[in-house]
Amino acid sequence: MIRNNRMKRYSIVSAVVAAGAMVLSTLPAQAADPGVTATEIKLGVSTPLTGSAGLAYGKVPGAMKAYFDYINANGGVYGRKIKLVVRDDKYLPTLAATQTTNLILKDNVFALVGALGTATHSKAYTAASLAAKNVPDLFVNTGFSGFGNISKYPTAFTVLPSYAMEAKIMSKFIKEKFAGQAVALIAQDDEFGVDGVNGFKAGALALANTTLYPQSSLNDARVKALLTGLSAIPGKPVVVLFGTTDVTALIFKAAESLNLVSKFTWIAGSVGGDANTLLALGVKPTTIDGAVAASFFPDAKDSTDAYVSQFMKINEKYNKGVSFDNIVLQGMNSAMLTVQALRAAGKNLTRTGLIEAIQNKGSKFASAGLVPLNYSATSHVGYNGYWFGQLNAKGELKPYGGTLAIFTTDSAAGAVEASTYTRPALPKNGIPTNS
Amino acid sequence: MLKLTSNKKRLLLFILLGWVLLLVGDRVGELRQYQGSFVATYSLAIASIILLTGYSGQLSLGHSALMAVGAYAGALSINNAHLHPVIALIIATLTAGVFGLILGVAVARLTGPYLAGTTLALAVSLPTLANQFPILGGEQGVVFDVGAPPARFGEGFSQYKWFFWISSLAALIMIWMISNLLNSRYGRTFRAIRDNQISAALAGINAGRVKVIAFAVSSGAAGLAGGLLVMLISGVSPSAFPLSLSFSLLTGAVVTGVYNLKGVMLGGLVLVAIPEIADSLTTRIGGSEGFTATLPGFLVSALLILAVLFAPNGPGHLIKRKKH
Repeated sequence: MIRNNRMKRYSIVSAVVAAGAMVLSTLPAQAADPGVTATEIKLGVSTPLTGSAGLAYGKVPGAMKAYFDYINANGGVYGRKIKLVVRDDKYLPTLAATQTTNLILKDNVFALVGALGTATHSKAYTAASLAAKNVPDLFVNTGFSGFGNISKYPTAFTVLPSYAMEAKIMSKFIKEKFAGQAVALIAQDDEFGVDGVNGFKAGALALANTTLYPQSSLNDARVKALLTGLSAIPGKPVVVLFGTTDVTALIFKAAESLNLVSKFTWIAGSVGGDANTLLALGVKPTTIDGAVAASFFPDAKDSTDAYVSQFMKINEKYNKGVSFDNIVLQGMNSAMLTVQALRAAGKNLTRTGLIEAIQNKGSKFASAGLVPLNYSATSHVGYNGYWFGQLNAKGELKPYGGTLAIFTTDSAAGAVEASTYTRPALPKNGIPTNS
Repeated sequence: MLKLTSNKKRLLLFILLGWVLLLVGDRVGELRQYQGSFVATYSLAIASIILLTGYSGQLSLGHSALMAVGAYAGALSINNAHLHPVIALIIATLTAGVFGLILGVAVARLTGPYLAGTTLALAVSLPTLANQFPILGGEQGVVFDVGAPPARFGEGFSQYKWFFWISSLAALIMIWMISNLLNSRYGRTFRAIRDNQISAALAGINAGRVKVIAFAVSSGAAGLAGGLLVMLISGVSPSAFPLSLSFSLLTGAVVTGVYNLKGVMLGGLVLVAIPEIADSLTTRIGGSEGFTATLPGFLVSALLILAVLFAPNGPGHLIKRKKH
């Protein structure tokens, strides 16, 4: 047979090693709906914990865990404790795909909750066969309107309002409050910014200047050149910043050194208007004082807000050493929605039941958001509105003009409407009792 | 007994290997099938590095970029031109090959650190270039969907098994072709150039031409690996091809033994197994999330050091030394 050929023996050796390693641990046959026992519900999340995105959003899983621990300490969901398996995807698509697949096939989680990132999660969703396996994909943290496509992502529920909604509502706000002022838009050139640009188009906002920049290559010199150019526009132009917070900070700091802060009326989108982060990145308090920002949440510094103060208490006890901010608020709020969804699905918990529960009852869930939740059989997009506030030097966001005005819309051609929505009261001690 | 030429033996061996993989694929769960697909894909990428670095002596730190070229070509063929996945994978291979050919012509004069630097620059810049062309889909990228497995395989035939079949078959065919090439006249000229370019030139070998061929074939194989990789993650985007991928593959090649095509599967296994081992280690001994995140990198580095110290030519050579 095969003689005289060491190389072939080595190939065979490596083949056998490979085959052996694969065979060694085969998976047991899966039950119909894995991840649920009489005493435990296993949920999973793949999200950036390390890397640059991890620095900004790595607090989300910790905040969710803290809230689940609080619920577990108070009896769990119908006696079942919630366990959250966290995997780091470093904001890389390949890792997101493999980590999410691991959550489904290895950790056997019942559902996913709080995944973050559009480019990463859209791939993970397909790679992990979430649709085919009917895995509920709860409260994905993205404003990309594409996730609202139910035929493509039938089990996914997003939580943030879409960027397109934000731009449409912002268009109306600017036209009403700053009529007669020229408007310049500075937006990121990826799907986030493009979604926004389309929204401004749909909102019929006349733009005197539009600058789309690649996220990776914007630097101080370019920003300064851009602002100097914009400063030639007569009057007090409105500058809309539709990018991430680090870019907002870069632009603010450039305006500080050019002495142009008071030349413009600044409006920051919800993604890039987080005051805590701006101050932490070295922007002067006087710069953000008076800047307009969009939000759908109460201000995370506002301890008079019932939800915020309850979440602060939970954070202090179950998430020791982590400062409370918008990100923590976001994580806890998603966890609270999750608990309500699990309760609404009933004691006999199934994946289909959970999805139906959110479709049928999701719009009534108690949540910290000041704008309505829009879940239904035909919409898997959560919040669908915004309110505008003005930052003060302490970084607190106060309603623009003194009264809270909420606007709602959709991601397509629907009109922007004023809303009289008042959110449901906080469940006693922040522990949902819905069914 | 039938007298077989070494080429026929090699073909038989690959068919046997394919048959073994087929049997294995039937007997393991979906997770192992998915991991197996990654092993096949990484093995192919490592083979392309071994061909270039080990055999023709050109060090590339930019294989992630070459993979990205193939990946984008494949994704556009499927998503925009609606071609059959097999055609798309062939287009991925050819496009990356042609790209490698052009690149090879440009860098044929460069050696050592200069070549490494150039390919490194390519790995850093090329994926971000994708953001500049709307057809490439920006940060979101392009969907790469090979579709559900054919209905004739039956209900129980999972998506992961389909992935495993496609990637294993593609990798086997390509590695078989590479190994044929390396055992041909070209393989000998590659080695001659690697060991001493001047004496090879004196022997009548056109060094520049041979290097360019090696570069083109290697990037073709890398392009196919890139196409397979984005098939497994269902879409291509710039961040799927970070610089760290180039380094991981190079590590895989060193662990396998850069002068040795025979153990590529081992390299692929190592790359897939290390995060798994790190994972089970941290579950067993506990530890913070930061610990979990850094452990794979630590294990890879440790393995690399061990490989360089004790088995610089790959584990195969260790066995050989023991025998003699």
